Amino acid sequence: MKRFLPLIIMLFYSSLTYAQITGRLSGTVTDDKGNAVEGVAIILIQTGQGASTNAKGQYTIEKLKAGAYNVRVSAIGYKPAMLKTTIRDNQQTILPVNIETDVNTLTEVGITGKHYNPDNLIDLQRTPMPSTVITRKQIEEMGSRRLDEVLREQTGLAIVSDIGAGARAVGLQMQGFDSGYTMILIDGQPMTGRNSGNFDLSRITVANIERIEIIKGASSCLFGSEAMAGVVNIVTRQHISQAQGLAGIRYGSFNMVDANLEGESPFANGRGSGYLAGNYYRTDGFNSNPYLSEGKTVPPYSSYTIQGRAKYLLSDVNSLNITGRFASRRSDNNKSYSGDPTRDVLKENDLNASAVLNSNFKSGVRIKSQYYLTRYATGQNITNLTEGFTIPGSNFTQYLHRAELQASQTWFNNLLITAGAGTQYETMDNDLYTGGKHQQNTFLYTQGDWKVTNKLGFIGGARLERHSRYGGSVTPSFGVNYQLVKSLTLRAAVSTGFKTPDFRQLYLVFTNFAGGGYTVLGTEEFTTELKKLQDAGEISRVFPNAAKVGGLKPERSTSYSAGFSFAPGTRFKLDVNGFYNNVRNFINTEQVASKTNGQQVFSYFNIDRAFLTGADVGLTVKATKGLTVSAGYQLLYAKDRGVIDSIKAGTGNYANVYDVNISNDRRSTTADYFGLTNRSRHMANIRLSYEYEPRGITASFRVNYRGKYGFMEAGRSNGFLDPFDTYVSGYYLLNAAIQKTLMNKHFAVQVTVDNILNYRDMLMPAQSGRVVLLSLNYRFFHNQ
Amino acid sequence: MTMKRNLYKTLKMIVFAIATMATVSSCTKDEVKPQLEDGKSVIIKDLPGDVGNTVGSGRPFAPFYFKLSTGAKVDTAKKKTTEWDIAFAKEYNSYVSINNGTDDGSFGNGGPGQGAMVAVNQAYDKVTTAPSDEDFAKNAITAAGWDSGNGNGWYFYDLNTHLAIPVKNRTYVLRTAEGRYAKLELVSMYKGAPAVVTDLNWPAPYFTFRYYVQLDGSRNLSTKD
Repeated sequence: MKRFLPLIIMLFYSSLTYAQITGRLSGTVTDDKGNAVEGVAIILIQTGQGASTNAKGQYTIEKLKAGAYNVRVSAIGYKPAMLKTTIRDNQQTILPVNIETDVNTLTEVGITGKHYNPDNLIDLQRTPMPSTVITRKQIEEMGSRRLDEVLREQTGLAIVSDIGAGARAVGLQMQGFDSGYTMILIDGQPMTGRNSGNFDLSRITVANIERIEIIKGASSCLFGSEAMAGVVNIVTRQHISQAQGLAGIRYGSFNMVDANLEGESPFANGRGSGYLAGNYYRTDGFNSNPYLSEGKTVPPYSSYTIQGRAKYLLSDVNSLNITGRFASRRSDNNKSYSGDPTRDVLKENDLNASAVLNSNFKSGVRIKSQYYLTRYATGQNITNLTEGFTIPGSNFTQYLHRAELQASQTWFNNLLITAGAGTQYETMDNDLYTGGKHQQNTFLYTQGDWKVTNKLGFIGGARLERHSRYGGSVTPSFGVNYQLVKSLTLRAAVSTGFKTPDFRQLYLVFTNFAGGGYTVLGTEEFTTELKKLQDAGEISRVFPNAAKVGGLKPERSTSYSAGFSFAPGTRFKLDVNGFYNNVRNFINTEQVASKTNGQQVFSYFNIDRAFLTGADVGLTVKATKGLTVSAGYQLLYAKDRGVIDSIKAGTGNYANVYDVNISNDRRSTTADYFGLTNRSRHMANIRLSYEYEPRGITASFRVNYRGKYGFMEAGRSNGFLDPFDTYVSGYYLLNAAIQKTLMNKHFAVQVTVDNILNYRDMLMPAQSGRVVLLSLNYRFFHNQ
Repeated sequence: MTMKRNLYKTLKMIVFAIATMATVSSCTKDEVKPQLEDGKSVIIKDLPGDVGNTVGSGRPFAPFYFKLSTGAKVDTAKKKTTEWDIAFAKEYNSYVSINNGTDDGSFGNGGPGQGAMVAVNQAYDKVTTAPSDEDFAKNAITAAGWDSGNGNGWYFYDLNTHLAIPVKNRTYVLRTAEGRYAKLELVSMYKGAPAVVTDLNWPAPYFTFRYYVQLDGSRNLSTKD
C-alpha cells in the first residue's frame, strides 16, 4: 500500500502541471442538434490512447506521436463513428466531432466500447478477476421481471433456498459460495438487508436497470468486506440524450402483474438531465409442496419501486449526480397443511440514495466525491392462527452511511491509476439483539491498470481497511493478461477477500421454538446469555469449547483464477477459466452446550477451512445472420477441509457411513463426501438468441441445467453429505420469449414462457412452475 | 428467402431441442415414500401430540398415552394401569417411553406395567423375533427420542436445516404393559409424514408409526405373509 501513496500524491500534483511533449488532439463533440455531448469515448485505434468528453463536450488527448490515426467515437445512445486525422509533433490538432443520436436507446442500449461512468471511476470490467456484463437488451430479450430471474440463468450462479433460515430465505450462490459472501451493489454502492445472510434478489425489479455487472472471485480489494465470492453491480440508467418515455404492462400466470412507467429528458439547455421510473409488481406466488392445502412456497407479494436520477452540470469541471431508489414490498402468505393454519407476513422498505460530485479536470484527472445512504427495514413474522401466538421472526432496521472520494488519472498514456478513500458507518436495530448495534470502518484503496504493450496488461491493487472492531486488514489483488496470438489471450489473477463477522454472528440471541427449540448465541452475548440459561436451570452440560467462544476473526479467502479466451474471427468465442477459492477462518456454528431438554446451544467459531474449486466455460457462436448460440458450463467442487480431515482421522460420527445397501455402518472414506449442501457439481446453460431486424422480431430460447445437489442428511447422522443422504435431482428448465416491435418501434408485444415443461419438485420450494406472460410496451419518442 | 429458410431451420432446431428435453426430464419430481402397509402391522397416521405448543411457550408438552392393541390414546388418569403401552412426552412429544412400574424414568412408575424396550438396528420387516430376556435385561431403554449419538434414538437433527430426520432401519422391540411382544417403527413427527420435510415450520408433532403386537404371547414378530 505504501508504495502507492507517492503515486496518489503525484496524481493530485500532476493535475496542476503538464508538459506538452509531442502532438495533441482536441475538439468538441456535438450531437445532431448542435448540443455538446458529455461522456463520449474518443479512442485512437493505433495506440489505444483515448479520452472522454467533459460537460462541455470537450476532449483532449496528449502525448501523441506524429502520424495518421483512425479515431473511434462512441457513446451510449449514439451511433458509433470512425474518423481519420493526422497528428504533427508539437502541434495541436483540432478535430470537431458530430455524432448522430441512436433512436430508441431505451430498447437498444448496448455496451459499445468504454464510456464514462459517473458512479465509479473504476470500470468493473477492468478488475483482476473475470467479469461478465448482462445488458438491458439481454434482459429484455429474456423477458425477465426480477433480478433473481436474470441471475439464475447465468453460468455458475444459482438461486438457492436456505431451509434452516425459514421459508423466505433465498439467496444467490456464486461459484459455490453462499449468498452472504456476494456483495450486491447498486451503482457501485452496497445494498443491505439480509435474512441470515441471504439476500433475496426478487425484491429488485430489473425494469429500470441499464446493465448488470458480475465479478466472480474475491474482490475485497475494491469493495471491502463481504466481496469474498464476488460482486453483482446493478447499474441504473446513466446517460440521457433525448426526451422519451415508456409505459409497459405485463400480465400472466399467477395473476402476475409487472407495470412500468418511465420518463427521461434533458433540461436546462442540456445542462441537466434526469429520469424517473416507477414499477409495480405483484404475483400470487406458486406452490410446489403437495402437502400445502393453502399457501405458497414461492410467496405471493406486491411491490412498488420508484427510482430516479438527476444530473446537472455545475461548471466546466463539475457535475452533480443525484440518484435515489425506494422500494416497498409486502407479502401475506396464509399457509395450511390441511389444518394448522399460519399467517406468514413480510413487510420491507428499502431506500438507497446517493449524491455524487464529478470533477473532470482538463489535465485528465477525475475526482468523484460521493455520499451514499441506505436504509433497510423489515418485519417478518409467522402467526399460528389456531393458538394465536406469533413465532419470533426477523424484525430489524439497518442504516449504512458511506462517504467516499475517488480519483483517477492516466499516466504515460497506458497506466490508469485509480485511488479511493472513504468511511462507512452502519447501524442495526434488531429485535433479536439487545439494544442497537453499530460499526464503522475506514478504507483506502488503489488500483493500477497498466497496458504495458498492445499484448500485455497488468491490473493490480490493494485495499487497506480499518474496522472499529477488527482493526486493520490489507487485501491485495493482481491480474495479468497476455495476447499470445491475435485469437488467443491468456489471463491469470490472484486476489483476496474478507468478510467481517456480521451483526448476527456477534449479537444474535435466538431460540428456535419452531425448529425444536435449539438456541443460537452471538459471540458477544454468549457469556451473559449462557449464564441466564444456566440460572434458569435449562443447561445440562457445557462443552469444553464454550471457553473458546469470543474474538471472532474475519473470514478470509484467496481466489486464484487462470484461463484463456480464444476468438478466431468474429463468429466464435471460447472462454475457459479455472478457479480455486481457498477460504480460511470460515465461520460456522458449533454446539457449545446441551439443554436439559436434549436440545443444543450453538455459537459461532472460526473453525472450518473450505475450498471451492472448479472451472467455467463460455462459448458464443454467431451461427447465421441474426442467430447467436451461446453456452456456459460450470464444474464445481465445494468442500469443507474440516470434514475431509475428520473422515480421514475417523473422528466421531464422521468415521461412519450408514450404507443402505448393506443395511449397516461402514468406515467412511473421503470419496463418500459429496461436498457442501446446495452445491451442484455440474451446471450448464444453452441460449439461442435470434433477431430478424426487418420485421422487428427478437426471440430467445434457453435451457438451464442444474446437476444434482445435496439437500440434507438422511438415514443416520454423520455430519456430512454421503451418497445415501437426500439429494435434489438434476433438472432442466426451458425458457423462451418472443418479441415483435410495431408502429416504427413505438409499440412492442412480447410473449414470455418460463419453465416451459412446468418442472416442479417439493425439494425446490423457491422454483416456480410454468409462467406464461404477455407484455405490451409503448415507447414515446420523436421520430427522426 | 434465405432469411426465411434460416428462420425455419431455427424453429426446427428449437422444436427438436424442446422435444429432446421433454423426453429426458419428467415434468414433476414425484415424492417417493416408503411402503408401510404389510398386511399385518397397524399403521397410525398423523396422531396429534400437543400441537400448537412450542418449546418457548413456558408450558411443557402435554404427554399422551397410547395402547397398541386398540390403536388409541388412553386417558392420562389411567397412567398407573396397564391400559397403555407407550407414552409420547417432552419436546414435541417425541420422547417415546414404556409403561413399567419399577422403572424410575417411566411414566408408569409405581403401577403394574411390565413394559420394556430395546433398540434394534434392523429394518422393521427384518425383525422377526423378539430378543431373549437376557437381551432385554442388558440393553433395555426406558425411552427413545433424539439420537444424540447414543445409538438408540429414533431421530436426529440436520445441522443446516434443524429439521428432525428419522434414523433409518432402527426398530424398537417392546414388551407391552401386559407382557406381550411387539415391534415398533417411528416414521415421522411431521404432519403427513413427508419423505423429506422442506419447511422449517412444518406442523408438528403429528406421529406416524407402525407396529405389530404378537397376541399369542410368543416372540414371533414376523410380519411377512
